[in-house]
Amino acid sequence: MTNSDNDPVLRRAIDDLRRLPPLDPEAVRRVVSAAAIARVSPAEDDDMIVAPPSRSLTVWAVVGIAAAAAFVGFALRGVWTSHASAPARVVASAPAAAKLRPIDMGSDGLPVPQQFVFENARAHRVSIVGDFNGWNAAKTPMLHTPDGTSWSVIVPMLPGRHIYGFMVDDSIFTLDPRAQKSRDADLGTEGSVVIVGRP
Amino acid sequence: MYPRQHLTTPLLQRPDPAVSIDSTTISRAKLGDIDAFTAIVEAYHQRCLRFARSMLRNPDDAEDMVQEAFVRLYRALPRYEERYRFESWLFQILGNCCRTANTTFRRVEARAVDDESIVERMPSADMPGRQFDEEWSTAVRTALAEVPDYNREIFLLHYIEGFSYDEIERMTGVRQSALKMRVKRASDYLRRRLAPDRQ
Repeated sequence: MTNSDNDPVLRRAIDDLRRLPPLDPEAVRRVVSAAAIARVSPAEDDDMIVAPPSRSLTVWAVVGIAAAAAFVGFALRGVWTSHASAPARVVASAPAAAKLRPIDMGSDGLPVPQQFVFENARAHRVSIVGDFNGWNAAKTPMLHTPDGTSWSVIVPMLPGRHIYGFMVDDSIFTLDPRAQKSRDADLGTEGSVVIVGRP
Repeated sequence: MYPRQHLTTPLLQRPDPAVSIDSTTISRAKLGDIDAFTAIVEAYHQRCLRFARSMLRNPDDAEDMVQEAFVRLYRALPRYEERYRFESWLFQILGNCCRTANTTFRRVEARAVDDESIVERMPSADMPGRQFDEEWSTAVRTALAEVPDYNREIFLLHYIEGFSYDEIERMTGVRQSALKMRVKRASDYLRRRLAPDRQ
């Protein structure tokens, strides 16, 4: 403790500032209600989230078509991006977008389908959480791949930088080992980064 | 002006030690248990409100900012990692909310008090006890509001909320030497303001 810490004026001021306001049960109720609504109600961009309906061949057909289309598109343009610039595998293109929902891929500011793949053979459930779905583990479940080694989902995302992670078995938050990590400026914890935009 | 009472509480202490949330409650809240989240809000609402009222340039926004912080916390809970201290994480989020609010709130002229006016408002020794306390409390808050935001926040986290410099360094990313300097500057300012006749 320094000399300044022993100053009686400062000590009295600190003692005064430490006085707690009374607990307001009504304010607590308002906070809890607001939080509950925010977590269960659709986020601002909630309608952009495409939750896979079931483990059907249809979804994997879409993924396959998207992957093929993206591969061809990238190869023709001679553009290959590293993990640093495109952490999540971008496999969607116009045909895939058309099958997911009518998205005009030619206009700026519209959602771009992104595929996320997470390798974990032991998990029972995996979902993706991020700023695009309100960090809600219930909103975007991932599908087990047929070989049982990975989980995958396609998420239409607005162009820009997004922070995300994977929620394993509803309880373990895991970063994407393929992606860059970033400390979330808002919440302080680390998240994986995906930059959404056209190549 | 000198304080009338001699304080017995130590200057640096962990305030309200009884108010702590066990890891089970946090885990339940993480999974979306609204009762567990309610317990968290009840435990921390008063401290958050106290912090926000002192941090914000417009203290009337304090309740809104506390609510905003809890909403963000609830939505981000799925990715909360147990290795982080929950309380630090909460105040980190609240600090971010308050800083954002301060950047958008224009300084009101009433806050730009000159030296003369604050000295005039200092309580005098011949005041009745209760009136003295109220005047003193007002003087403390007025003086604190004049401390620059970046010094005020660290002062509050350290002396009022009881976080160690180690914890604040992890929360803010600011080195301890700089943190101590900020606290010293805030303390010196308060002392000068509250006991000008001792300078």
